[in-house]
Amino acid sequence: MNITQIQELVKKDSIVLLMYGGFLSQTLISSMTEALGNKANEDDLTMSDSINIFIIFVELTQNMMSYSKNKERDSTNLKSDGLIIVEKDIKDNYYIHTRNIVDKKDKEIIELKLNEILISSPYKIKEVYKELRISGRDTHKKGGGIGFYEIAKRCKNITFKFKNINENKFYFDFNVEIKIKDKN
Amino acid sequence: MENLEIEATKYTPEILMDIDTGFISISGKSYPENTFDFYESVMKWISEYFDGKAKKETIINLEIIYFNSSSSKLFFDFFDLIEEVGGDNKIEINWIYDEENEFALEIGEDFKEDFKNLNFNIIKK
Repeated sequence: MNITQIQELVKKDSIVLLMYGGFLSQTLISSMTEALGNKANEDDLTMSDSINIFIIFVELTQNMMSYSKNKERDSTNLKSDGLIIVEKDIKDNYYIHTRNIVDKKDKEIIELKLNEILISSPYKIKEVYKELRISGRDTHKKGGGIGFYEIAKRCKNITFKFKNINENKFYFDFNVEIKIKDKN
Repeated sequence: MENLEIEATKYTPEILMDIDTGFISISGKSYPENTFDFYESVMKWISEYFDGKAKKETIINLEIIYFNSSSSKLFFDFFDLIEEVGGDNKIEINWIYDEENEFALEIGEDFKEDFKNLNFNIIKK
């Protein structure tokens, strides 16, 4: 990925709080979450706002880590490592952007799920989340299921897009705006 | 059957499960990489404990700061298991939350709603 591609993901006039590209591990995710915690303290965020950021950050990075590890078993030429950026704009809105490479089959699953989430009310999102948790469908082992609902419950806005790399591989760009209650 | 004690890490909670007193405590953050593997010993302990070894009263204190979605599913399964194997034992579940932590309150209320047969208390610290 080059700098132009990174600039596509971030907003103008924003401050990048954290940016990481490459292989993700649990230790790394935990350290980055801790770093975000320090930043949240400096910014005087409430405990609830900070926790919303942590939950979304952890959910997205663990999804990418899990996807990357599963795909390592496949012998593909393209790396499955991820890119993650946390930024804050001049109005103190927080954003998390991720980019990773997914294959066509996963693109279709993710697209279906996210399109469903985008047209759902907060009530419906919570209802489906609870239903999925009871039924056990879309657990973490299958990836990208209940986690997207958890993110949707805790953010202000979600956008996403897929960009062709070749006929079977796509960049998956996922952007979340996080509710900061006291400041918006 | 022995007590189960697991120290907290940056991403997993402290777990104490005491066979002699019937006191169980899980407190901290929960976002392990392999959630179901991490909690396997906890689920096994619960099954064995309620298989004839439970004290007159079992107190379960849970103080979760935040968790990932697979932990959310795991805790659902945890309460489901207690409901299933708990039988007629006296079980008190205390979901303890910091008053500034809306997330912990919300998930506690959700679990209370999902498990109406359990004696589930939501307690502000």
